[in-house]
Amino acid sequence: MFRTFLSWRYLVSRPTNLIGITGILVGVGALILILSIMTGFLEESRRAMRGTLADLILKPFQGEHGEGVVTKDPAGLLAAVRADPRVAAATPELVWGGVITQRERGEMYERILSDQNYSGMLVTQLVGIDVDGLARVAWPFTRLAARAVGGYLPRWDLQDELDSTAFLRSLVGDEPGQPWTAAAPPPLFPFVPRSAQSGRPRAGLLVGEQLYADLDLRVGETLEIGTVVRDPVSGEWRMNNREFVITGTFRTRDNETDQGRIYVDRRELSDFLGRTHQYSQVLVRLHDYERDKVATTTDLRRGLAASGLIRGDFEGRSEVRTWEEFRGNLLGAIENERVLMGIMLSLVLVVAGFTIFAILSMMVTEKRRDIGILTALGATPAGVQQMFLMIAFWDALLGAFLGAMLGVWGALEIDGIERWLSRTFGVQIFNRDVYLFDHIPSVVQPLWVATIVLGAFVCALVFAAIPAWRAARMDPLEALRYE
Amino acid sequence: MSSPVLAARGIRKDFVLKGRGKNGEERRLAVLHGIDLALQPGERLALVGSSGAGKSTLLHILGLLDRPSAGEVEIEGRPGWQLPLAERAALRNHRIGFVFQFYHLLPELSALENVQLPAMIAESRLAFGAKRRELRARAEALLEGFGLKERLHHRPAQLSGGERQRVAMARALFLDPLVLLADEPTGNLDSKTGELVLELLLAEQQRRQLSMILVTHDDRIAQRCDRILTMKDGRVEAESVGVRK
Repeated sequence: MFRTFLSWRYLVSRPTNLIGITGILVGVGALILILSIMTGFLEESRRAMRGTLADLILKPFQGEHGEGVVTKDPAGLLAAVRADPRVAAATPELVWGGVITQRERGEMYERILSDQNYSGMLVTQLVGIDVDGLARVAWPFTRLAARAVGGYLPRWDLQDELDSTAFLRSLVGDEPGQPWTAAAPPPLFPFVPRSAQSGRPRAGLLVGEQLYADLDLRVGETLEIGTVVRDPVSGEWRMNNREFVITGTFRTRDNETDQGRIYVDRRELSDFLGRTHQYSQVLVRLHDYERDKVATTTDLRRGLAASGLIRGDFEGRSEVRTWEEFRGNLLGAIENERVLMGIMLSLVLVVAGFTIFAILSMMVTEKRRDIGILTALGATPAGVQQMFLMIAFWDALLGAFLGAMLGVWGALEIDGIERWLSRTFGVQIFNRDVYLFDHIPSVVQPLWVATIVLGAFVCALVFAAIPAWRAARMDPLEALRYE
Repeated sequence: MSSPVLAARGIRKDFVLKGRGKNGEERRLAVLHGIDLALQPGERLALVGSSGAGKSTLLHILGLLDRPSAGEVEIEGRPGWQLPLAERAALRNHRIGFVFQFYHLLPELSALENVQLPAMIAESRLAFGAKRRELRARAEALLEGFGLKERLHHRPAQLSGGERQRVAMARALFLDPLVLLADEPTGNLDSKTGELVLELLLAEQQRRQLSMILVTHDDRIAQRCDRILTMKDGRVEAESVGVRK
């Protein structure tokens, strides 16, 4: 029992030990904090990289001429996919390219078009979606991040947050299947869109916030979109133009998407394209993606090909893919980076271990006489050794416990802490404009916390082993002989 | 005559010196040249002699702290130096009580805790916890018996030399040992305090019928023992009978 008792007594009676505890505390705390932020950044990037990709993406090769004609109506495909019990939802999506024009801002657009640095700005990707469908299918954050604008405000980040889906629905009424056309001013709208004032109702569209800010657009304004469509009969390419009205903006945190994508109602877009296309891909959401991704993908590939809904493998590319298969390489790189970071940061703990080593070595020398006394009173060398190991154990226990608490707290509150620090010292620590995040992301993983705490214990004990071993080998008499 | 509590046979102790002799052999310094000794139950034995005679070394060997170069120490008939390390430590813990010239208390512990140290070493945490009150009461009683009632929670640094030695004595007696080994217990005290401490020690030995070996260079103290062994240059030079009082 003297091991526990004495080690604790030595610990509290020697303020030097505070250095060891602090070392572990700082090591564990920093490791947890930094790894949490790293993980947060990585997950955020992963999410941003995933963008608006659904769990599974089903992209049939819609051959128009010749062999293996796949149906242009998504209904059959949807029904087949939805029949799978593992599938939570499926929705068709129609993607097409377009160019933005706006009569009122002709000069500005001309300038943009003639400036190389602005190239691509006016070229957008038109995505036709079924509003409710997409909200269910795509990664949940799309729904959260998609925000609609409540009025004429100069900066997009100051605009009220609204769920676009709800907003659009309020715009067009509850009836499903009805295109998003701005026919009458909705109750939420503080003004009457010009587009609704006369003539044919125009379809509404959602503009990415980046694009919205870049082009200085306004909700309720008319946006003319131009595109080219191939005539199914003659095979000629024809220009099509149509006016839409901006009903809101969305934000996905993926720069390219926010700058280059416009959401429209799928039927409206199909109509715009001369009804040559109804969908280009089907987005599928699974109940349990991690569990079912492989099996479902395989089953869908086989089943849909067998029933002729897709053509099966074509030129080595599959028509049914998970989102990870879309972005495979980048994900691997991110994982690598995190492991590397963990290894590098573990050195902090090694430094703490060295502190403990130094303190205990000092203590063993200082406690020479005590070791002799304990031996004379019947303690074994092993007991003496364990006593010194116990000191390291207390160091690790206190340090790791407090450090873990501090680290977890810091990780959870990092945003507030950073803001406070920035405010107090007038230095901006985290520049929110550099990243696409408006907060410092951090994800606390209990397993990592446990691993770090365990690592601290191992580190402390390993480094304490040498001085403890030295203590055990000490000749008790040498200590006892002289005062 | 009953069997001895502690017996030593042919105890030798050499120290290996640094460097080699002329012919490359190890240079050894013999400190003890084969000492035989038997301590009867309840006997009070004095070891006297000038400094460097090997008294303390012998005492440490008898107390199983210092390994002899040759010879054996038997405690209750068990060969102490042949036992495994843990058993030898347990023997030291239960059967032998040490009182040192320099008290050797742990500075971090209070008087009360110092006294209980042998029990802390002997018992597991659970066993100690179970007997905690009892052990504490015993330590308190011991210290009170030595007139330290007001000093229970003082650290050694806050105690006088005489008080420290009394705490050390209480510690040595705490687990009711068979043999008490005292190495000049009054050597570091002024004569008046030394007298007081010695009286306490002898009285306690008498009362408990302990066997005791007392190392001293004070003839008056030696005279109060049953037997006096005079050592010189690592040998027992003379044996005389004291006047036990």
